[in-house]
Amino acid sequence: MSKREGARYPAYVPEYPRSWWLQTGPYRRFAAREITSMFVAAFSGLLLLFLFAVSRGREAYEGFLRWLKLPAVVAVFAVILVAVLYHMATWFRLTAHIQVVRLGRKVVPKSVVIAGLFGTWVLASVIVAYFHIWF
Amino acid sequence: MSEETIAMKVARYRPEHAAEPYVDEYRVPYREDMVVLDALNQIKDEIDGSLAYRWSCRMGVCGSCGMMVNGKPRLTCSTFLREFYPKPVVVEPLRHFPVIRDLVVDMTDFMEKLKEVKPWIIRKGEKPVEEGEYLQTPEEVDAYKQFSMCINCMLCYSACPVYGRDPEFLGPAVIALGRRYNLDSRDQGQAERREVLGVDWGIWDCTFVGECTVVCPKDVDPSAAIQREKVATTTEAMLSVMLPFKGRT
Amino acid sequence: MSLGDILDESDAREVKRRARGAGPSREDRLRRLLRPEPVFWGLFSAGGFVAAFLVPIHVAILGIALAAGWLPSRALSYERVQHLVHLPLVKLYLWGLIALPLYHWAHRFRFAIYHQFGILRWKRFIAVACYGTSIAGTAISAWVLLRI
Repeated sequence: MSKREGARYPAYVPEYPRSWWLQTGPYRRFAAREITSMFVAAFSGLLLLFLFAVSRGREAYEGFLRWLKLPAVVAVFAVILVAVLYHMATWFRLTAHIQVVRLGRKVVPKSVVIAGLFGTWVLASVIVAYFHIWF
Repeated sequence: MSEETIAMKVARYRPEHAAEPYVDEYRVPYREDMVVLDALNQIKDEIDGSLAYRWSCRMGVCGSCGMMVNGKPRLTCSTFLREFYPKPVVVEPLRHFPVIRDLVVDMTDFMEKLKEVKPWIIRKGEKPVEEGEYLQTPEEVDAYKQFSMCINCMLCYSACPVYGRDPEFLGPAVIALGRRYNLDSRDQGQAERREVLGVDWGIWDCTFVGECTVVCPKDVDPSAAIQREKVATTTEAMLSVMLPFKGRT
Repeated sequence: MSLGDILDESDAREVKRRARGAGPSREDRLRRLLRPEPVFWGLFSAGGFVAAFLVPIHVAILGIALAAGWLPSRALSYERVQHLVHLPLVKLYLWGLIALPLYHWAHRFRFAIYHQFGILRWKRFIAVACYGTSIAGTAISAWVLLRI
């Protein structure tokens, strides 16, 4: 708590709580959303490790694949997947909120924009999966 | 005759009596059509005349009566007691602002920032009166109309954790107002305003928490205004790099 | 000293710093010629889209499908992966897939430090540390992809 001297009266300036982001539902969901970025970065790191393994030859690569199959590692990836899906859901909602889509004079409702983004995600995932697995 | 009553827990701060704020509890008669402001007026008229608070139009257009009601920033003239009855109602001064007395907060920071963003039509040269008015199509009005609905009630500042944590932040209402003028077809001052908005404590400090939009009583949607200003500023920066000789507004 | 004490001290010093008007004035900061914020926000935004559209399926394939045995045996075989990773388009794609989300993380993490951890001092240093990490990641991934 600190006091600020004004012209005639001391104003009361409360201390800002350090744990503000834990105090309400919306703030907690906001903090969760921001934390997903750490899991996204973690995946970038893991993908980089994958590429290092590829660059070091067959043995290193196949060792890396065996590591990927360990239950503990799969559990970590499961957590990353949940985080990344939460990022995707919140990112689409935010995008629909910012980007007003117009067809002529009519405005496309937000839920339709989100559905469109989700549909695009499904399409992108199918295309990536095709190239990743079967191409 | 038994009357329905409701408990009002009102924050008090009277520095001439006590260094710390405290809470006074009052009991006021309850009717279904009463708002929090009615209860405060009842308290001031009949129970405790020393209570200090701001209010004016009592119909949600002046923006004077913003306070924290049960922990959320609300206009007390538009918040019905029946939302909480029979539980007690906690009324506190608007969060994130210095408290002068009881429920009255110091608005100086907000008022200064409003001026910084140049909330008026800037023109390189005025049209002479003989040439007539500036004309706007309905589409041109629609472009900025939503952001012009702000009543300066400061609820968004109370909801914004960035402003709470870092009072240097320009804040939702000010940035939305800046965008309102940037989008006005009559205005030619985008470059000047972008200088003000594009600083570290301007649009870039916002992390799109979105609570400002949730609490706004006029559906101004300041968080959308801020993000769109970020998009516009980034686009302008990219274009000025890629097409450096093209004239910019 | 606990982290709480360090953060309290940091706050108190910031209040005093502002009170005595130390540091570059607002006008000087305004006149800074190089304004990098739009660049970082643009990268953050691009990274956010890459993370939203492309990362989930990669996580599912590499992290879950492989271990669960849902992939055909030659899908991630050394020969096939080597062949794919040598294609220039694939290199470019992987570079974007790794690098852009790093800028997304850096931007969010930087502001989390300012607002959630409440550290409003050393803002420049924090920003440089965050984006610097992303730039390092960008460079390292480019190097690996060119070496393969």
